[in-house]
Amino acid sequence: MASLSSDEWRAICDKFTNAQNLTEVESRNDPENDPFRSKYKARELLREIYCSLKSFEVSEGEEDGGGESGDPRPSEQPVDGQREDGFGQGFSGDSPAGLRAAKLGAVEYYLGVNHVDTEELSAGQEHLMNCMKLLGRCSVSSENVSLFIHVRNQLGILWAGRDETETAQGFLETAESIYQHYMKEDGSPPTDMTEYFTTEEKLLTHQERTKRFELAYTHTMYYLAQVYKNLGQTERAATYCHSTLQRQLQLNQFNPMEWALNAATLSQYYITKGRYMEGRHCLSAATVISGLAGEVPSEAAAQESETENERREQLRQKRAEIARCWIKYCLNLLQDAKKLLEDNIGELDTDRQDELKRARRGEEEEEEKGRKSALLFGSEDTFDSIASLEEKVRCLFPLDFTEARAVFLVGQNYVTQAKEYFQMDGYVTDHIEILQDHSALFRALAFFEEDLERRCKMHKRRVDMLEPICTDLNAQYYLMIRRQLMFELAETYSEMMDLKLTLANRQADTQSLDSHTIKKFNHLCSASAKYFQMFLDSLCSPEGKVPEHLEEEVLRPALVARFRVARLHSRLISSSPSVQLDNLNRSLENYKYVVQYCETHPEAATTVETELELSKEMVGLLPLKINRLKARMAANN
Amino acid sequence: TQLAASGDSDSIKVFVRVRPLTQGTGLTTDGDQSLCLTVTSPNTIRLLSKPEPRTFTYDHVADMDTSQDAVFSSVAKNIVESCMNGYNGTIFAYGQTGSGKTFTMLGPSELDNFTDELRGVIPRSFEYLFFLINREVERSGQSKSFLCKCSFIEIYNEQIYDLLDTASASLFLRENIKKGVFVEGAVEKFVNSAAEAYQVLSMGWRNRRVASTSMNRESSRSHAVFTMTLESKESINEVVNIRMSQLNLVDLAGSERQKDTHTEGSRLKEASSINRSLMCLGQVIMALVDVSNGKNRHICYRDSKLTFLLRDSLGGNAKTYIIANVHPGSKCFGETLSTLQFAQRAKLIKNKAVINEDTQGNVR
Repeated sequence: MASLSSDEWRAICDKFTNAQNLTEVESRNDPENDPFRSKYKARELLREIYCSLKSFEVSEGEEDGGGESGDPRPSEQPVDGQREDGFGQGFSGDSPAGLRAAKLGAVEYYLGVNHVDTEELSAGQEHLMNCMKLLGRCSVSSENVSLFIHVRNQLGILWAGRDETETAQGFLETAESIYQHYMKEDGSPPTDMTEYFTTEEKLLTHQERTKRFELAYTHTMYYLAQVYKNLGQTERAATYCHSTLQRQLQLNQFNPMEWALNAATLSQYYITKGRYMEGRHCLSAATVISGLAGEVPSEAAAQESETENERREQLRQKRAEIARCWIKYCLNLLQDAKKLLEDNIGELDTDRQDELKRARRGEEEEEEKGRKSALLFGSEDTFDSIASLEEKVRCLFPLDFTEARAVFLVGQNYVTQAKEYFQMDGYVTDHIEILQDHSALFRALAFFEEDLERRCKMHKRRVDMLEPICTDLNAQYYLMIRRQLMFELAETYSEMMDLKLTLANRQADTQSLDSHTIKKFNHLCSASAKYFQMFLDSLCSPEGKVPEHLEEEVLRPALVARFRVARLHSRLISSSPSVQLDNLNRSLENYKYVVQYCETHPEAATTVETELELSKEMVGLLPLKINRLKARMAANN
Repeated sequence: TQLAASGDSDSIKVFVRVRPLTQGTGLTTDGDQSLCLTVTSPNTIRLLSKPEPRTFTYDHVADMDTSQDAVFSSVAKNIVESCMNGYNGTIFAYGQTGSGKTFTMLGPSELDNFTDELRGVIPRSFEYLFFLINREVERSGQSKSFLCKCSFIEIYNEQIYDLLDTASASLFLRENIKKGVFVEGAVEKFVNSAAEAYQVLSMGWRNRRVASTSMNRESSRSHAVFTMTLESKESINEVVNIRMSQLNLVDLAGSERQKDTHTEGSRLKEASSINRSLMCLGQVIMALVDVSNGKNRHICYRDSKLTFLLRDSLGGNAKTYIIANVHPGSKCFGETLSTLQFAQRAKLIKNKAVINEDTQGNVR
């Protein structure tokens, strides 16, 4: 600083502080019709600083220029993203010339950000590129590494905004590699850019320096996550989201509830990809970190104060949201295991089960290895709590009833938790969604149950939880949900009917069923048909007219429902020939509908291929059966 | 024409209205004499974009000289009639600030004298609704009766304010198994005539102005939702049929303020340096989860208040019209394009209207 008196330097520092203050604080109060007033003022100050630096230090710069006359610019400017190791060209970063370049670069950086903020993108880009040029002459050092990263972050944002995602990616990936390179080679707490313009006594502590530097890099991760998302590289994007979260946690820069919700959401990404170990890890971390947000204020406290009330609401809601993510974890794990184990008629394939159990031992070792290589969350304080929570539920597919039941119980426990907040009165949609998940958990568990009587009881539980709601819901406001419920109820009843029949056949071993069983069977059969019919009625016009054209999203369910109604009617057991005749006629009518609809709407045929084929067959066969029955009735009369 | 001819489709209908050029209004669009669009038929509009002009098709396109009455007839008449028959109906007004939303919906200014020829869709809807009510009551020989209540709320920054009770704190959305989604604690005013309904509306509208200046919230950034609940009772042979329906009139925030929510594509969400938080990480992750759909997953981030409140009108079971207002000036090209694109996306949302008929008091 030889050529600059301390007074002059102090003046520059004051200007800088002033500019920062204008940009960050005062600009927020700028009037609507003059939105950038403070930023324009800040820009003027930055320009003055630039001029002062340029003129005062020019002699010094020439001395250290290493014989190069004028502008010591490297012949080729390295372009970011091409991954040539551009470190260490020109003068070393901590030389006086290097420092001067960094200072000028920093002013260019701030000018660039200022122009971008005031919507002058090209001017902003120019300043940021000037900063890059100045830095291009220096090697990376603890004095300038922060600037190296910041300017690239800004250029990444700038180019992404112009839809040039690859260009943005280049800058951000270079920032990433500069960070890693620096941490490997040096790693000392680097100078923060603001320190270029502070007087000695105001320099930052090492701790503060580290914090700011790490934050800049966390931002790089965060922007890269978005860039990869925009490029459609979801897996990579997920990894960077994960790293961002992990860094926030390690560096203690996070809001617990916000963090927990993000981790819980990330778990949903993993489970949709079938990566249950990662999913479970995110969820355990979410639960543990959400605990850091503190106790839920009591109801009494909430009534006393508005802020406590809001806090209570927030904490309860967000924890219930996390519980719902856990429910999905358990549900998907069970459903995926079911898919893995079922044979071609949807029953447990015991050969496959044995095979998988034998392979299990290897898998457990694999899990251990995978766990070591996977990204893990946790700071020292939380790591153990997260790990112990993970142990409460497995991430491997359950292979038998005992294992499935363990997963089910965890899921059911979270159902209870989630329902505590999302009560029917106040959160109808959420509450029903949770019940639907609960029902689905039962359904998946029932698959593993070998005792058919108990399996039937599980389905009965599903009916008990859904049926009253389906009846009570206002059809005007909850049309879609009601349709889902009707369909599910219809299928559940049908499943129960099949189970009853299998059981009865096993016991009786003949076709002669006792009247009690027949009554039961017919009841289940009609209940199923009733709900399918209710679903079909919900598609009709207010005057009760069946739509000529089925909307795409209900096309398949509507045709399937018709087909099922047809089958159910033909299965009803009756000793009265006239009732039999009625049933067969209704059955035929519905089969005919499927066939005729597909004839007039050929595009529908592909969506219900199997059902259509069977319907055609039945439309051919049923009339014969009906005629035989009629003949028998006539003969008896 | 083919779309319109397919008739009774329940998808959301879109009406585009082009306002006249502005003069001496103090708007930035003043004195802009060159146009960026032309209306080429009653349902097409051509935007003079480069290199090729683009044509957009809607259910109806109204040119600058279309009368207020004509707008009402094509947009609201049918919806008001449906409300009488037990359907829910919603009319949205969308567009850039200064594109004529208020003029279309209310009229030149908040005149209490609503016989003015320039009065907008809302006063005309009130008149028509009460005309129909009175006719229906007369026809039925008093066996039918109607009950009409209004509420008026504003959504600003994801907070709900009651425009009929400015003293109240922000309100919450709740759901009830019978009532659907509603704003808990919102004031409901009973009205018996179009004049009374209009009074409630103007009072709320004035409050909105006052609130926006005194409480530092901009009305161009807020959505205002005026809801009229209509209940009809009919007794035939000791059986009472009750029908409920809702008419929602929504003034959406100026489209230019909504850049954050939909027009941005590749823009990165920036970290706010002030609170050092990476606010939008959740949204990034959410987008990843959404891509891999088909599986059962839960998303922790909730719908916006507006879409939740009007869920029924967007893909639920209601009759919905969107009026997209555009300014023809070439300076507004960007905004006009995004408004037209929004309106086109809205057309893709399917609606299914269903009547609600509760039967009470069956013969004992």
